[in-house]
Amino acid sequence: MSLPIAYSVRNVRARLRRTSLTIAVIALAVIATAVFLALLSSLQRTIVSTGSPDNVVVLRKGSDNDGSSMLTLEAYQAIRYLDGIARDGEGQPLVSPEMVVQPTVRTTSGIRENVLVRGIEPMAFAVHDQVRIVAGRMFRPSSGEIVLGLGTVGRYEGAELGAIMPFGRGRWHVVGIMDAAGSSFESEIWADARELANDAHRPFPYSGVRLRLAPGADRAALMARIEDDPRYALEAKIETEYYAEQAKSSRSLYFLLVILAVPVGVAAGLGAANTMFAAVQARTVEIGTLRALGFSRATILRAFLLESLGVSMIGFIVGAIGTLLLAAVLGAVMGGIGFAAATFTTNVVTLRVSAGDLVAAFVFAATIGIVGGLLPAWRAARLRPVDALRKA
Amino acid sequence: MPEPLISLRDVSRVYRRGADEVHALEHVSLTVESGLFVALMGPSGSGKSTLLNLLSGIDRPSGGDVVVAGKRLNDLSEDELAHWRSRHIGLIFQFYNLIPVLSALENVELPLLLTSFDRRERLARARTALDVVGLGARARHVPSELSGGEQQRVAIARAIVTDPDLIIADEPTGDLDAKNADQILRMLLELSHELQKTVVMVTHDPRASEWVDLVFHLEKGILKETFAGAAGKDHVEPREPSAGTRA
Amino acid sequence: MKYLPLVFRNLLRNKLRSLLTGGAIGLAMLLVCFFLTMPGGIDRLLSEISSNVRVSVHNKGGVVYDMPYAYVQRVRSIPGVAAVNGEVWFGGAFEEEAMVTFPSFALDPDAVQAMWPDYKIEPVALEKFRRQRDAAIVGRETMKKYGWRIGQQVSLVSTVWPVTLTFRIVGEIPNDRAPHFWMQREYLAQAMQALDRDLDTVGTIWVRVDDPAMVPSVMARAVEMFRNSPAEVTAETEKSFFASFFGSLQAFVQIILVVTALVALCVLCIAANTASMAVRERSREIAVLRAIGFSRGIIFGTLVAESMVLATVAGGTGALLTYGFSAMIRMLAGGSMGSNELGPLTGFLVTPGIVAQGIGLSIVVGLIAGIAPAWGAARRPVAEILREVF
Repeated sequence: MSLPIAYSVRNVRARLRRTSLTIAVIALAVIATAVFLALLSSLQRTIVSTGSPDNVVVLRKGSDNDGSSMLTLEAYQAIRYLDGIARDGEGQPLVSPEMVVQPTVRTTSGIRENVLVRGIEPMAFAVHDQVRIVAGRMFRPSSGEIVLGLGTVGRYEGAELGAIMPFGRGRWHVVGIMDAAGSSFESEIWADARELANDAHRPFPYSGVRLRLAPGADRAALMARIEDDPRYALEAKIETEYYAEQAKSSRSLYFLLVILAVPVGVAAGLGAANTMFAAVQARTVEIGTLRALGFSRATILRAFLLESLGVSMIGFIVGAIGTLLLAAVLGAVMGGIGFAAATFTTNVVTLRVSAGDLVAAFVFAATIGIVGGLLPAWRAARLRPVDALRKA
Repeated sequence: MPEPLISLRDVSRVYRRGADEVHALEHVSLTVESGLFVALMGPSGSGKSTLLNLLSGIDRPSGGDVVVAGKRLNDLSEDELAHWRSRHIGLIFQFYNLIPVLSALENVELPLLLTSFDRRERLARARTALDVVGLGARARHVPSELSGGEQQRVAIARAIVTDPDLIIADEPTGDLDAKNADQILRMLLELSHELQKTVVMVTHDPRASEWVDLVFHLEKGILKETFAGAAGKDHVEPREPSAGTRA
Repeated sequence: MKYLPLVFRNLLRNKLRSLLTGGAIGLAMLLVCFFLTMPGGIDRLLSEISSNVRVSVHNKGGVVYDMPYAYVQRVRSIPGVAAVNGEVWFGGAFEEEAMVTFPSFALDPDAVQAMWPDYKIEPVALEKFRRQRDAAIVGRETMKKYGWRIGQQVSLVSTVWPVTLTFRIVGEIPNDRAPHFWMQREYLAQAMQALDRDLDTVGTIWVRVDDPAMVPSVMARAVEMFRNSPAEVTAETEKSFFASFFGSLQAFVQIILVVTALVALCVLCIAANTASMAVRERSREIAVLRAIGFSRGIIFGTLVAESMVLATVAGGTGALLTYGFSAMIRMLAGGSMGSNELGPLTGFLVTPGIVAQGIGLSIVVGLIAGIAPAWGAARRPVAEILREVF
């Protein structure tokens, strides 16, 4: 014999106020972990989605990021005509020499942040094919013009299309906005490489070089040739690997998430178990009657477990909606969330709740429901009908 | 002639239950002298418990005057009533209603928490009260370790420990076997006759009339008749205004 | 107070429930206190390594923009300035350790003691630092991280200058929070000269002002002095310099605080649930107590006290356990947590203030959780409950 699901449903309804408190507990636990999870996955997505597996980053040996690298003009020229590099329609190699500077810029809320300003040459847009100008136009060389990544727009003083943005030694005219498919290029400002090097008084014109591999090229051979040149002490990495390495440092964030999720989950589980225990206790006689009527232990166990699981699922739904709302509110109030990137610059991350975050939160809520309901359900099933009825 | 301890004049109590009005008590007048053991009898729903609640200041009448121990209870606020009860009333319930987490002694001590006695004084009085009901030896036991009769005796000790004017008992023997019931009734009788406490008891037990001085019989919220019980003292007579007559 | 035994007995009545609720509250408070250490980490760092009388003068464009070296002498001439030290970012990477970089600077060895007396560097070490061209003074944390010892030779590759220099460590900065690697400016200048280049710039000019009241005027004079020059400067106290350095973490801290608030709210619901269960199950007893003469105030008070005692004991325990918990986390995380994007947030140092906040929050949680059910129980007319009881 099995108990109809309606039995569990009616029981939940009968104790509506208490059940709704339990639902609130689970919902809040879900929101707390899901928001944190979303933060983490947003950061991860931003960093990991940056770069292309067909691009190679060339830096000075020993530099783990282009903020601390430098490259001579000769090195750039030597790399440029190596075999295995893709070429554009006019036969020009897809090699983009870049200069990275980290000036301090004031945010609209008055905080100073270091921004990654990338000095480029027009070839950069061919190499970084995920970057597109979505408003305005590309800057003209040597005319004090810049284009802004989407993440910087509105975050910093003067970071608007058509406005004047002061940083470094100069005042720059914003002529374009670029979209980089959510990658960390969107946290950058792009300017003319030579102009930027002048502004920053850099002894070397370039920090590094990004190049596009030719289809079917032997990338290992190309990278080996770059690294083995005794004149320049260079290091080559696949662009996606380069950014993945930078993302490694978010390991500590995962660590924090676990620290968050375990106690919150246990606490919410205890809260759920509490309610379920009370439900079992209040229904001792009823359980005794059911047992006397011939319902098996397994049936009773299942009914109580189902009830607990159902409550946690409602908690999850409420929590999921709450998470989406909270993320929207946080996004509206705070704008992008700044993280320090490896280049000591600010990586602007947009908080977005992904399906994966919600799936994880679902598993979390279900675990709370099962674990929180198991012991009380087991206790209910274990009650002997005689004892249960005598307690009346 | 001293004031009667209890004096009800034309007392009514009407409840609202949804759209209906329930007339639990209608125009009841009665008086009870100090030191009597009184039984309230009548079928279920006759208004016995309502009357008991009014006498003990737990409830207030819809109409009429309730004067107990010289105080008109109609005018008192909820907290004033609570304070008054703690001074003048001892309560005994059918199901004892001891606090399960407290020992017998602590249960008896409970009403004394509301007094200004210090702890030593409270415990001394609580022990004395337990001795009076013959349970001095079981002071440390919690209610679940005591039999029904013993629990009710602890409840009696709790009711008398503050030395109240009026002891109210709601079917005190209702949950007990005959032997234990007799013991409880004897105890209540002794309280009233030897310690000059007034005891008002609601009961269904037909034998109860053998133990009490006076019986009020209620039916459908109306005081039908008043008669002397077997334990009645010579001087006990229904006093004017004659109980049961409509005013 | 005389009602306290009753409160305790009631808490022990359903031990399992008190344990579950207490466990939940304790865990949550542990978490709340742990998270509160993160924003506190910034303040703590600031107060430990920075000072209000030390002023940083750097290029308006940011610390990565340099200034002419001559600025150092000109800043020294400002009235109120007690000491100056110009710093150049060396960007040294330790070759044997997968080229990790750490904050390495070239500076003036004669003005170290005058600038950073609070670092309490041993005079012997300072003396060697002044005399030996290749001397280096290294922060204790960095020493520990690479297992360096005083007297050891290390080679650093500069990621800023085209040089690789070998240093002899002559002393340490005895402060766990100072990871710096200091070298003589002259050592770098000579190395550059060998390449036919002059070292004529400076990154940051540190200024110490003796009289805190003079700080604003010194800063104003410095800014004014170089206005309309090719390298305009900004001046700020060391505290605000570091504070702005960590400013970008603010949004993250805010999210941590939001999450913390959610956890606190969660625990409030758990506590409220327990309080309402306790009250509901005991409605008969409560009615009896009131019939005996316990006033509504006493009933309300004891019920709220019950909720508060549970929350305070459990939450307080959780808050105190944060000491052990954060120590454990620091141990588990090892040194690797120090140099990531959370930086100063991951010190996880528990202060009595944070524990006090946790305990305070527990008390508030108990109070709020207890109020509604206790009020409900105290408010209902006795006769009404007793009708169900008699």
